[in-house]
Amino acid sequence: MSSGTQPGTPAKPAVFPTMWNNKRAAFAFLAPAVAALALIGIFPTVFALVNSFRRYNLAKPRDPTPFVGLDNYLTVLYDPSFWGALGRTFMFLVTVVPIQIALGLIIALLLHKPGLSGFKLLARLSLVIPLATAPAVAGLIGRLIFNRDFGVANAVLAFVGAGPVEWLGDTTNAFIAVALMDIWQWTPFCALVLLAGLTMVPTEIEEAARLETKSRWQIVRYVQMPFLLPSVTVILILRTADILKMFDTVFTMTRGGPGAATELVSVYIQRVGFRVFDQGVASAQAIMLLILTIVLARLYVKYVYREV
Amino acid sequence: MRKKLWGAIAFAGALMTSVSAMAWTLEEAAQPYKGTNIKAIFLDRPGYAAAIKLLPEFEKKTGIKVNYEIVPYENSRERQVLDFTGGGEIDVVLTDVVWIGEFAGNGWLEPVKTFTADAKLADPKLNLKGFFPILLESFGTWGDEVYGLPFDNYSGLLYYNKCTLQQAGFDKPPATWDELMNVYAPKLTDTANRKYAYALQSRRGETQSADSFMRVLWPFGGSLLDDKFKSNLNSAQSQAGLKFRQDLMKYMPPGIVDYDHAEAVNALAQGNVAMITEWSAFYSTLSDPSKSKITDCLAVATEPAGPAGLKPALGGFSLGVNAQSSDAKKAASWLFIQWVTSEEMAKPYIEAGGVSGRTEVYKDADIQKRYPFVAPMVASWDGGVPDFRPRFAEWPELSEVVAEWGTRMMLGNVSIEQGAQSIGARMEEILGQAGYYDGSKPLRK
Repeated sequence: MSSGTQPGTPAKPAVFPTMWNNKRAAFAFLAPAVAALALIGIFPTVFALVNSFRRYNLAKPRDPTPFVGLDNYLTVLYDPSFWGALGRTFMFLVTVVPIQIALGLIIALLLHKPGLSGFKLLARLSLVIPLATAPAVAGLIGRLIFNRDFGVANAVLAFVGAGPVEWLGDTTNAFIAVALMDIWQWTPFCALVLLAGLTMVPTEIEEAARLETKSRWQIVRYVQMPFLLPSVTVILILRTADILKMFDTVFTMTRGGPGAATELVSVYIQRVGFRVFDQGVASAQAIMLLILTIVLARLYVKYVYREV
Repeated sequence: MRKKLWGAIAFAGALMTSVSAMAWTLEEAAQPYKGTNIKAIFLDRPGYAAAIKLLPEFEKKTGIKVNYEIVPYENSRERQVLDFTGGGEIDVVLTDVVWIGEFAGNGWLEPVKTFTADAKLADPKLNLKGFFPILLESFGTWGDEVYGLPFDNYSGLLYYNKCTLQQAGFDKPPATWDELMNVYAPKLTDTANRKYAYALQSRRGETQSADSFMRVLWPFGGSLLDDKFKSNLNSAQSQAGLKFRQDLMKYMPPGIVDYDHAEAVNALAQGNVAMITEWSAFYSTLSDPSKSKITDCLAVATEPAGPAGLKPALGGFSLGVNAQSSDAKKAASWLFIQWVTSEEMAKPYIEAGGVSGRTEVYKDADIQKRYPFVAPMVASWDGGVPDFRPRFAEWPELSEVVAEWGTRMMLGNVSIEQGAQSIGARMEEILGQAGYYDGSKPLRK
């Protein structure tokens, strides 16, 4: 029996050599990505995990680096500054994220409306600008905007007969100023994700709803919102992770001050890790933060995420 | 006969020294290292801009290429420590006065004697005694060993707008802190027009701990630590200094806790405050018409004295050689450091905007005339406190604590006493863990 092509029968289309169809091909394609991930993601995490169980200060190279069990974690648990910074971070999270989602939703709904396609294209492109700005630069811009004497914020307030406000030298105002910069930078991200979510709503359902009611809110609430829940979940997960590791903007804008008013948890960890150089305690703090991020992400998925 | 013999020996010795001095040239010393690339860490400050202006001359003479990286001060220690521990690329180490204990104690700096003992590398005109003793001791020496040469040298000075003072009826600056607050400040402050008597840079970080907090301890007879390295912040003198700062705040611009050097210098340069106490290095900024509106009114004096006398802020940086660099790079780095801090380059360095640590250059009548900050700066260095800030390895950790609680005090979030107690408790915890109280570490600061 021959398995060759019979004379007269049409030739089968060319296929990739068998070698490329087997597991080795998949491995070859995936290996670079996995290797890169292992190198820049998994290895540092494992390294930090190991360090978190050791007494390890980079600035004391002559000191031994023994394993100390859970000592570093206990140090973190009994450190009021860490809990203060964590509490401040959650305050920041619950302040900025709802505003970003609300503003993002408004922008997304405006961009989703039919018509004015040229203008909307321009608006979409301009939304990318804050996202493309490096966070450290955003902090420096914030420092200029909120300068008491020549900042734009006080110039605007002066125009309406208010101010001047002491933005960065006052504990509450400094927190607000950093929050405003974060809202400026990340609202476009929320808008773009929610806009993508809105495109998932079937056109016929939306049109049917418009025939049923003239209430814009009811359409948003009962027709579009269910389709937006996966997008909201994504925003919550990513923004929570971002805020828990937010450092550059705060450091360049206020350096965590005045006092500890804007010292978010990552700024505090940086102080421990790279001013005191206590890699053991800083690693324990970072691992606890990682666990917290994972737990919050699971909670978001459990309580917010719904598929239509 | 014996007299003649000794005379001949002395003559021969003097001749040999002089021949050797004549024989040594930078060009010849650098010959083996021609083409060597070395890396230095610089800051964005006038002293470094001055060195950068002078670099081509060194590179032309030696063929050694000096690469430099400009980093913000707040990141400069982190940048270098990571380089030391990770095995990096820095050859010329920049050491702040408060890092010398850490850098030298950890063996990251090559002792200067390695080079001064090598006749091929040591310039016979090096003259270590030609540096101001306080500078060489503070920035360059740890445990009787010299590790670096003073390069970017600061003394706290009182910069003031003499036109504003004259308009208020003062023909000279305040001589004491008490006079500044109780006589000058009320007349120089006009809050309605946003004009203030004085600005004290107090932003969280080293600015708060060194420039603001420590500045008010010493003149009032206080200090951070006592002789046994226990907190001295709750002593009557330290409390008086800290309370003085708090009282003085009503004559400072609002938001002073967010003022860094740039903001304080700018406030004086724009005519918004009448006086600041800042580092000598900022004279070139304040006297530059493109950056300052008060160049014709700018005047300089020593910092006001306190009940304990003149105790001005002391700061600055030395340049040293990375102990982990290769021998060729070490030699090339030393030649650069020796040259840029030499007596010969002191005048060009000052003219380019730097502040030399050499004594001789400030005796030059031309320099004294052209740079009015020289006389008060020399007076400050002659009477300063070498350990204005502790120089041991634990200072960066203490500085973080002082910076946080010092700012809280100024904001009124905690009282002076509570703040001092909090700093003291944390400080003693850190120093205890470091081994200062059980005798495992010498009480050296």
